[in-house]
Amino acid sequence: MSTVTHSSPGESTTVAPASAAKPRPVSEFLSTYVFSKDHKVIGLQFLFSTLVWFLIGGLLALAVRWQVAWPWSDVPVLGKLFAQEGGQMSPEFYTMLFTMHATVMIFLVIIPILAGAFGNFLIPLMIGADDMAFPTLNMLSYWFMWPAFIAFGASFFVEGGAASSGWTSYPPLTTNPAASPGSGMGQTLWLIGLTFVGVSSMLGSVNYMTTIILMRAPGMTMFRLPMTIWAMFITALLQAFALPVLTAAGFMQLFDRSIGTGFFSPEGSMINNELTGAGGGQPLLWQHLFWFYSHPAVYIMILPAMGMVSDIMTCFARKPLFGYRPMVYSIAGIAGLGFIVWGHHMFISGMNPALGMTFMVSTMMIALPSAVKTFNWLGTLWGGRIQFTTAMLFSVSFVSMFIIGGLSGIFMAATPVDIFIHDTYFIVAHFHYVLFAGTAMGVWGAIYFWFPKMFGRTMNEFWGKVHFFLTFIFLNGTFFTMHILGAVGFPRRLADAYHYETFHHLQPMNAFMTYCAIGMVACQAIFAANFFWSMFYGPKAGRNPWNSNGLEWTAPSPPGHGNFDVQPIVYRGPYEYSVPGCEKDHLMQTDPPVEGMVVAAH
Amino acid sequence: MSTSAFAAGSDFADGGHHDHSHGDDHGGDHHGHLKLQYQPGLPLTKGKLIMWLFLSTEIMFFAALLGSYVVLRFGALQWPKPHHVHLSEPIGAFNTFVLICSSVTVVLALEAAKVNKSSLAKTWMMITLALGSLFLGVKAYEYQAKFSHGIYPVKPMGLVYEKPDLYYASAVRARLSDPVVLEEIAALDAKSETEMNAEEIAGRKSLAEVKRLVNDPAQEAFDIAVVADQIMPLPADMGSHGGSHGLNDTFSWLQLPIVIPGGNMWASTYFLLTGFHAVHVIVGLIVFAILLTYNLGPATAGMIENAGLYWHFVDLVWIFLFPLLYLF
Amino acid sequence: MRNRLAGIFWSILFLAVPVLGVGVFAIAPSIDVWLPKDVSSHGKEIDSLFYFILALTGIVFIVTEMLLFWFIWKYDAAARGDEKATYIHGSHTLEVIWTIIPAVTMLFLAIYQMNAWADMKMRRPVMKPTVEVVARQFEWRLRYPGPDGDLGTPDDLFLVNDLHVPVDEDILIQLKSMDVLHSFFLPNLRMKQDAVPGMKIPVWFKATETGQYDLVCAELCGWGHYKMKGRITIESREDYDAWLEAKYREQEATQPEPMDEIL
Ligand code: HEA
Ligand code: HEA
Ligand code: CUA
Ligand SMILES: [Cu+2]
Repeated sequence: MSTVTHSSPGESTTVAPASAAKPRPVSEFLSTYVFSKDHKVIGLQFLFSTLVWFLIGGLLALAVRWQVAWPWSDVPVLGKLFAQEGGQMSPEFYTMLFTMHATVMIFLVIIPILAGAFGNFLIPLMIGADDMAFPTLNMLSYWFMWPAFIAFGASFFVEGGAASSGWTSYPPLTTNPAASPGSGMGQTLWLIGLTFVGVSSMLGSVNYMTTIILMRAPGMTMFRLPMTIWAMFITALLQAFALPVLTAAGFMQLFDRSIGTGFFSPEGSMINNELTGAGGGQPLLWQHLFWFYSHPAVYIMILPAMGMVSDIMTCFARKPLFGYRPMVYSIAGIAGLGFIVWGHHMFISGMNPALGMTFMVSTMMIALPSAVKTFNWLGTLWGGRIQFTTAMLFSVSFVSMFIIGGLSGIFMAATPVDIFIHDTYFIVAHFHYVLFAGTAMGVWGAIYFWFPKMFGRTMNEFWGKVHFFLTFIFLNGTFFTMHILGAVGFPRRLADAYHYETFHHLQPMNAFMTYCAIGMVACQAIFAANFFWSMFYGPKAGRNPWNSNGLEWTAPSPPGHGNFDVQPIVYRGPYEYSVPGCEKDHLMQTDPPVEGMVVAAH
Repeated sequence: MSTSAFAAGSDFADGGHHDHSHGDDHGGDHHGHLKLQYQPGLPLTKGKLIMWLFLSTEIMFFAALLGSYVVLRFGALQWPKPHHVHLSEPIGAFNTFVLICSSVTVVLALEAAKVNKSSLAKTWMMITLALGSLFLGVKAYEYQAKFSHGIYPVKPMGLVYEKPDLYYASAVRARLSDPVVLEEIAALDAKSETEMNAEEIAGRKSLAEVKRLVNDPAQEAFDIAVVADQIMPLPADMGSHGGSHGLNDTFSWLQLPIVIPGGNMWASTYFLLTGFHAVHVIVGLIVFAILLTYNLGPATAGMIENAGLYWHFVDLVWIFLFPLLYLF
Repeated sequence: MRNRLAGIFWSILFLAVPVLGVGVFAIAPSIDVWLPKDVSSHGKEIDSLFYFILALTGIVFIVTEMLLFWFIWKYDAAARGDEKATYIHGSHTLEVIWTIIPAVTMLFLAIYQMNAWADMKMRRPVMKPTVEVVARQFEWRLRYPGPDGDLGTPDDLFLVNDLHVPVDEDILIQLKSMDVLHSFFLPNLRMKQDAVPGMKIPVWFKATETGQYDLVCAELCGWGHYKMKGRITIESREDYDAWLEAKYREQEATQPEPMDEIL
């Protein structure tokens, strides 16, 4: 981080090497690194915060896995940290674990790392702007994450423990503290944290959209934007339209819990033989509101990764993106359809079954834009000159894994099959394939790819590949097996399923998955070491270490304040690799046109 | 194609970047780095665009609340008529009118500011502020009317019961044996008829009847509806304009539980919707108050316009709320 | 040449995905980690739909993953000498083809399954409920109608967690919840339905074989969710009647307090 506002010697011409010579006062330090309004610093702040939470989420996942593999046995190491009775976890603690695992991973890792870290860092650089449209707002969007960090973090220590009703927080379990220990203060903090994440995302998303619409460099038409930017743009749109619904629902749940309204509690509902307060509400209403947000949210959690993967893949296949416009339209299609499929989470919730049928049809249709994307990635690889860099390996694996995760979605979209596999590990397999094997792998690819731009140095390729290899093996070991567990009907969210005759024999398989999960988390040490070592001692990267085309590669590494030292003017799309008749194998967006060379202008 | 690749260049040459390249909250923090040129995609300033985008998130927020209201209302077994819950259409209509007027005055303020009549602009802005405050005042009065009848969305303070059943009977009994109430009743019984008006005389009789009915174990379940009707009669239809007058109205200290079928959910949604709307009104008023500290000339027209956009949105939400809550 | 080895290594790693992926699904049934035995009449439809989708997605999986492997194997920079990458921006024809084929497939799948779904969740048999199941933290309360066949009459039979149904007959269950959400899950009967407080949801099926199976709660309902376990016993009509008779006498003998008001 220390290198952010400096530029490497000899690279920058107009950006003065700031005040490197004289020691700087504390206030300047604060305004440069802490309360900075510079989109790059904010992006890195998001990146560091989310990586820390990623680790926490991963450790929570290990605790979950431990219990699933060896129920009621002492948890090593972690047990001393947070389980109560002699390192052995209680069932309510288990429910808390997976709830907070999912909450942390989704709301504090994946969403903010995509939009917050990469969105912030890349949008102005890739469109040729000096910063976001509203830097102060941008800074606020990061600082609004802190109340959320604190609320979620603190909830582990309050009476009754953290929220424990699943990340979906279905009432009436959540609205009545008598129903579950975690439904006390923990749930309130969960709702408060969620609201702050919502405010943060809202501030970020309107800012991103404004920036992308109004601050593109001359010549950067919408259809010359890199896929990353398109994905970020449409993701911001999804955020802006879906998230307020969850915020509203969150308030309603908060009121149900705190002042006794009854939006989500039915007439005459009872907990422990006692009548709960006001009634007349509808438990299913929450599910509708929640999924109205959270289904689009799953695309919020993958579209930016898809965009980044497209950019990385074209760069290392040295080939134009296959079907640029279809790729853009399919992102838009996924986003649009994403708003009308939420009911597929509720097929057997008691919702009108006829409605289930319509949701089934719309869900099936989402396979179309996804198919377009998948085939276009394959088309991009076809006929390329593939370089196996770490970033490339991660992006290829993104495609490979997304296919698995997407195809398992088809099983669940089929309503009769969902009767059987709903709430089983088949679902758990599905979403870890899209979220972890998909998005998280894409994020790693993006880290390896843009690291030189962030810190002016490249990460170690050898150890990067070791990291990739181990993560890839272990993740498949952990998550692929979940599909067949799901086929047995092995239910999710169960602290101990082995007392059921049907699931009794699955323990060894779960133990195997846990070993893989431990390996998966352990091998992240390689990544962390590589990351921090390279930040300070990695080989210096020039402006354009990968010979890539985007505007960000014309700026110094790392870019100084204001990003560019020459006014970028854009002449073509970002994917002009291997242009015939051009001696370099890449034509940057800013390279002036050469007479007689035929280049697609989009 | 390559030669025409820079065709887009003309967009920026005549471009909005003259007005737009300075961020609204940008200015201060770039020290001398390169000023970049942009190609704006829409003929809007940053401030206006982000305002529109922000308002679209707000639309979704209220859409969720309104959607929930519709679902809850039509999923409910019963729903009170406006008069059951002391909701008065004329007051609501008046408030609608006030808010629409304020939307007009804020436009007038903008027009005045645009032609640099800053004191006129200030006057219109002041009137807008006053109208907004009037709206809130009326809202507060309406809330007060609910609270004084024990209609809260909350259980401990609220007196509303859904139906005249066992729970209701025991609540009435509990209230009637409250020491404070016992004292007041004793005082009432001690009065001679000459000291009271006709209404109070009738009230005392029916109170005695209520006490008898509630405390008679044999009949309570049967007659409790009668009790409820004595305490707060529900007008049978929309025609009777709040003419109902029950024991709670006659003796304000009595505060017996009342029966309004569907009343709790009604109160929950009513306070949810109008409450969030009121919060938005308050934010608008704060913005206007801040604007009043500026010189309202052409330079601030952009800010006034954005504030006005927001205010029209708040107005629009109310235009949806009024018929949904008061008329249907 | 060293570089080429790297390409081969990574290509094979990606080849392992479809190979092992198919492998896992191929072995799973033989190590008994597969769909549990089905004893319902409608389960065949679910299972065959499952196999159908498995085949369909399996083909898509194998084809796409093999292409992926093949492309990174073949177009490795180290294998291409000085050759440049193909300069191509896409193909209209291909885009149309690979939109239409999945569209037709998906539409077919959507329509194909509608009837099955309607049978399982929409066309409920016209009959009185066989039993009422009331879920609560953390047990299944059962209420049989008793001799008069009507629920809610004084002759009802109350039991907990021990569900019995006759074989080869339509069963209609009335599902309720007393407190929070639960889910009534019978893996061997391929039936799952959430129980929602404030709602009465019908569940129907026909068991085709006698035996004893698990009744699982599949919706998170609090700390004891994992142990909310019931059993379903499917037996012949005679056994069922005899069992009802015995339980009924047991209940008369112990005279439990009626639960009417609560339910
Ligand atoms: C990034 C996140 C992400 C993504 C991208 C997706 C993508 C999809 N999801 Fe997933 N989903 C989740 C995250 C995600 N999901 C989560 C977190 C849950 C669980 C929440 C919880 O309960 O806790 C969930 C749950 C979930 C359910 C509910 C299951 C249940 O609870 O019973 C369903 C049901 O339909 C579903 C379907 C789909 C479908 C059809 C897609 C499609 O978009 C996939 C489309 C992709 C492809 C199909 C592959 C590529 C296409 C081809 C190779 C072309 C050819 C293909 C064919 C012809 C079939 N998902
Ligand atoms: C983005 C989302 C995400 C991610 C990444 C993960 C990651 C993992 N999840 Fe997660 N999981 C969910 C989302 C996610 N999960 C959701 C939504 C649920 C449903 C919850 C519910 O039912 O309500 C769930 C539930 C869930 C269950 C089911 C629990 C149950 O139903 O009983 C299990 C069980 O195995 C599990 C396991 C794992 C494992 C082993 C990982 C591993 O992949 C974790 C690996 C972690 C790492 C690899 C950490 C790496 C750390 C770094 C990279 C930091 C480096 C640091 C620096 C450089 C500073 N998860
Ligand atoms: Cu009942 Cu889970
Ligand atoms: Cu979904």
